[in-house]
Amino acid sequence: DLCDELALVDVMEDKLKGEAMDLQHGALFLKTHKIVADKDYSVTANSKVVVVTAGARQQEGESRLNLVQRNVNIFKFIIPNIVKYSPNCILLVVSNPVDILTYVAWKLSGFPRHRVIGSGTNLDSARFRHLMGEKFHLHPSSCHGWIIGEHGDSSVAVWSGVNIAGVSLQNLNPNMGADGDSENWKDMHKKVVDGAYEVIKLKGYTSWAIGMSVADLVESIIKNLHKVHPVSTLIQGMHGVKDEVFLSIPCVLGNSGLTDVVHMTLKPEEEKQLVKSAETLWGVQKELTL
Amino acid sequence: MDERKCWFVTTGFLSKSCLICLVIHLCVPAAAIMSSVLQKLITPLASSSAEPPRNKVLMFELIPFVYCGQDLCDELALVDVMEDRLKGEMMDLQHGLLFLKTSKVVADKDYAVTANSRLVVLTAGVRQQEGESRLNLVQRNVNVFKSIVPQIVKYSPNCSILVVSNPVDVLTYVTWKLSGLPKHRVIGSGTNLDSARFRYLMAERLGIHASSFNGWVLGEHGDTSGVNLQKLNPEIGTDADKEQWKATHKAVVDRNVFVLVVFQDMYGIGEDVFLSLPCVLNGSGVASVVNMTLTDGEVAQLRKSADTLWGIQKDLKDL
Repeated sequence: DLCDELALVDVMEDKLKGEAMDLQHGALFLKTHKIVADKDYSVTANSKVVVVTAGARQQEGESRLNLVQRNVNIFKFIIPNIVKYSPNCILLVVSNPVDILTYVAWKLSGFPRHRVIGSGTNLDSARFRHLMGEKFHLHPSSCHGWIIGEHGDSSVAVWSGVNIAGVSLQNLNPNMGADGDSENWKDMHKKVVDGAYEVIKLKGYTSWAIGMSVADLVESIIKNLHKVHPVSTLIQGMHGVKDEVFLSIPCVLGNSGLTDVVHMTLKPEEEKQLVKSAETLWGVQKELTL
Repeated sequence: MDERKCWFVTTGFLSKSCLICLVIHLCVPAAAIMSSVLQKLITPLASSSAEPPRNKVLMFELIPFVYCGQDLCDELALVDVMEDRLKGEMMDLQHGLLFLKTSKVVADKDYAVTANSRLVVLTAGVRQQEGESRLNLVQRNVNVFKSIVPQIVKYSPNCSILVVSNPVDVLTYVTWKLSGLPKHRVIGSGTNLDSARFRYLMAERLGIHASSFNGWVLGEHGDTSGVNLQKLNPEIGTDADKEQWKATHKAVVDRNVFVLVVFQDMYGIGEDVFLSLPCVLNGSGVASVVNMTLTDGEVAQLRKSADTLWGIQKDLKDL
C-alpha cells in the first residue's frame, strides 16, 4: 500500500480495463483509494512516481540488448506523454535493456539526472543475496553483497564487499570469485546472470521478483527512506567511465529521487569491467536516433 | 530448515570466541584456509534438528502477488502438474525472498513437499469459460478434486482448507466430503468477494473507502441468487439499530468477521449445502457463525439457492 492513487496506461484497452476492474474489486482490502486506467495519458496527471515497464520483453534465449531499437521507438511515444502530464515526477525505468533505456528516458524527458532512475541491478543483488542465504541458511537480508554495473550479462560482483555481520567473506577465502576458488563463488554470480533466462525458459517471463524489487525502490522513494540501492544512474566521470552511460552503483533514494551516490572502493579489475560495460553500452547508444 | 537471522552477538563470551576464531585463522597454514567459509564464520549453538514450519501455506496456481505483500506464512508450498512452469514460478518467487519475511518457497509435482501445511488455498481446477455458468463447471472440477484432496489430507491431516475454485459453494461441499475434515476446517471463499465488489461499487458512489461501507451479500456465490441479499447499514448513524445488528456491527468493527461459506443447517434448510454467512475466523478455522436477522423474502431466497445447489450435488458421482 504505497500510494493513494494508482494509474495504469496501456494500448490494449480491453485488457487494461479488465486489470483495472480486477484491482478495483479488491479496493476493500487495500489502502489505495483510487485506481484509474486509460489509453489516454491524461489519467496519469500529477503522478509522483512513474514506473515504465512498457516495451517488448525478452524471448527465450534473447539478450536484453537485442530489444533496444524496438523499445526506443516505444519510448519516443511514451516519455513525452508522461512528462506532459507529470512534469515533476520521478521516472523509474524497468524495461530492458534497462541501462540504455534509462539513458533514453533521460534524454527524451529533459529531466535532471536525479529524477531518472533505472531499476538496474537491484534485482540482481536480491538474487545474489537469496543464493547466499541458501548457502548459509540465513535470511537474504542478513547476507550482504552488491552486484553493480550492467543489468545483464556483464554485471560486476563486488567480492570485497560480500559480508555477513560485517565479516568480509573474501578475507576468509581470498580466492573468492577467482577461477581457482574451491567454493566456486563465480558460479553463484553466473546463476544470478542466468537467473532471468532460466525463469523465462520455464514460465515464459519473470514477474514476481522484478515486481517486488520495483516495489522496494518505490517504497524508498515515496516514504523518503534514504535507503541505498544498486540502481542505474549516470555514471560518467566515476570509476574511470568516460562515456555518457547509465550503470548501476549504490545510490541513496528519497522523495526527491536519487539524491546521492555511494563511492565503492573497487579493485582495478572491477573498475576495468565497469569501463568495458560502459564501452559496450555506448557502442549501442551512439547508433540510436532519438 | 528453520529460519535463522544473523545478528550481532552481544554477550561477552561469544564475542570473544568469534574474535579468537579469526585470530587463529591468520596463523593457520594455507591448506586449512581453504576449508569451508561456513565453518569459519558460523558456530551453531542450538541442536541442529530442523523445526517444522508453523505457518506453512500450500497454494495451487498463483495468487501470491496479494499474499506476498503481507508476509502471512513462514513457508510457501506450490503444487502443479506443469513442472516447467511450476519451477519457473518457484524460482521467480525465490529471487524475491530478500523482500519478504517468508523464509522458504518449495514446489513440486509430488505432494510430499506440502507436508505440515497449516492452510491450503485450493484454487486448482478447470477455469470458467466465457459465458459458462458456474454450475456447469462442477462435474469437471469434481474429477480434478478427487486426485487432489486426498493427497492434501494425507500429508497435512491437521490443515484447514480454503476453497476458491468455482462453483465454490458446491466445490466446498465436495472438498468437505472428499477430505473427511470437520466442517469448521473446510471454508469456501464464497461471497467474500461479492461483498467486496458490492462495497466497492457503493463506496464509489459515496466517495468513501469501501471499508467504511458495511454491506453484506449472502447466499450463493454465483448466478442463481440473481438479486442478491443485501442489508445496508452505513457505519455512520446507527440510531435505528436493532439488537442483532449491534452484534454484527461490532464484529465488523473488530475486523474478524468475513462473509464465508459454512455448513448450513439453519434457516430451515435441511440438506448438506454450503452457503455464505458471516463467520468468525480464527486459527482453527471457522470459530462461529453470526446469526443475522433476515426478512422472510431473504430466507426464501436462501432456501431457493440451497435447493438449486442440492439439485446438482445429489447427482455428483463418486463422492
